[in-house]
Amino acid sequence: MSEYVCVRITRMDDVDIGLFDYDRYNTLYFFLLNAEEHIYMRYGGRDSSSPNKYLNLDSLELALEQGLAIHRRYLSGDWLPSQRPKQLLPEEIPALVEQTTARGRCVECHLIGDLQNVQRERDGVLDKLSQMFRSPDIKRLGIELDIPKGLVVQVSRGAASVAGLLSGDRIVEFEGVPVWTFGDLQYAYDKVDRRANQVQLTIQRAMQHIDISITLPVRWWWTDLTYRQLTVDPRSYFKSSPLTPERKKTLGLDSLGFAGEVTNIDSVAQLLSLHTLSIGDIVFAVNGIGRDKVANTPELFIQLHTRAGDTLTLGVIRKGVRMLMTLKTARMSYRK
Amino acid sequence: MQCRCYLPYLLFLWLTLTVLHPADSRAEEVLWFDSYDEAVDEAKRTGKPIFLEFRCEP
Repeated sequence: MSEYVCVRITRMDDVDIGLFDYDRYNTLYFFLLNAEEHIYMRYGGRDSSSPNKYLNLDSLELALEQGLAIHRRYLSGDWLPSQRPKQLLPEEIPALVEQTTARGRCVECHLIGDLQNVQRERDGVLDKLSQMFRSPDIKRLGIELDIPKGLVVQVSRGAASVAGLLSGDRIVEFEGVPVWTFGDLQYAYDKVDRRANQVQLTIQRAMQHIDISITLPVRWWWTDLTYRQLTVDPRSYFKSSPLTPERKKTLGLDSLGFAGEVTNIDSVAQLLSLHTLSIGDIVFAVNGIGRDKVANTPELFIQLHTRAGDTLTLGVIRKGVRMLMTLKTARMSYRK
Repeated sequence: MQCRCYLPYLLFLWLTLTVLHPADSRAEEVLWFDSYDEAVDEAKRTGKPIFLEFRCEP
């Protein structure tokens, strides 16, 4: 650490959030860079289960060593920086200004993450697949890392295994971008077009570099958003399990529809009188729509195609009887 | 909602115990700048790279 100039930022008011772009739902996040503001690497990242799953002293120490090696290369002219991203300041996001500086409040990173999306929704440019479902989880590809060792693969299963990724491989590039840490990997993965079918990895195995292509599983970008408390996320407070094609046929439902059997009701639904669904109900339509190109459950359809606070009409089968039911979605708020 | 507010504290505690704990042989005295611009100036003066931490204020 003594070989670095260390700086800790707790207020984002004047930060170039275009340059220092990261998923703001990380409570801790680090950048290694030089005095010319060329970023060498990131350190941080998380998944839905834990904010500190990927924070580890050994991997941090490894990143610091790698950062010094890149810095030496930079000083000797052997490292070329990537193009600097366009500058963006918090004051350029009206929804953020309204909730923070205009009220004398701190511009917290979480608020940037939330209110940037609020502004996008206001402007009609919110892409929920990439901006609400941010930071896809590499475990959905079948990759589990040996976290203290940085990007060394501990377990490869599923799509990653089919592609030829092995335990012990070290991931060195993702979609042609050099990656040194989980933070780099997750950021590069987040940049992948949500309509993509494959991603390219370069891995180091023994002394060789090997390129592999992983076929992306359906809805690879999906993560549990519960911890994010996103204002633009329409919360429905129920979970369902997709019906099998046979079950849909038996019930006379669209075989390509997103019908799901309710498996969980959050108590918030009752507390706020949002809906009266019961476990075992079949939800087969939302506002008369029962099929979607992307959603495989009614709650995902609601997340993707409605606005928080909307009141919806569900098509429901309860004990064999079809009925219509009202559901009001809830709008979250993060410490405003 | 309440437990979310404690996360920064817990993580700061974790960072303190792991990165800066005196019993750890890797622990060292670290001077932290709280101004980004001053850190950049210091990096220019010393030729060192920058370790930049963003974290929620406890």
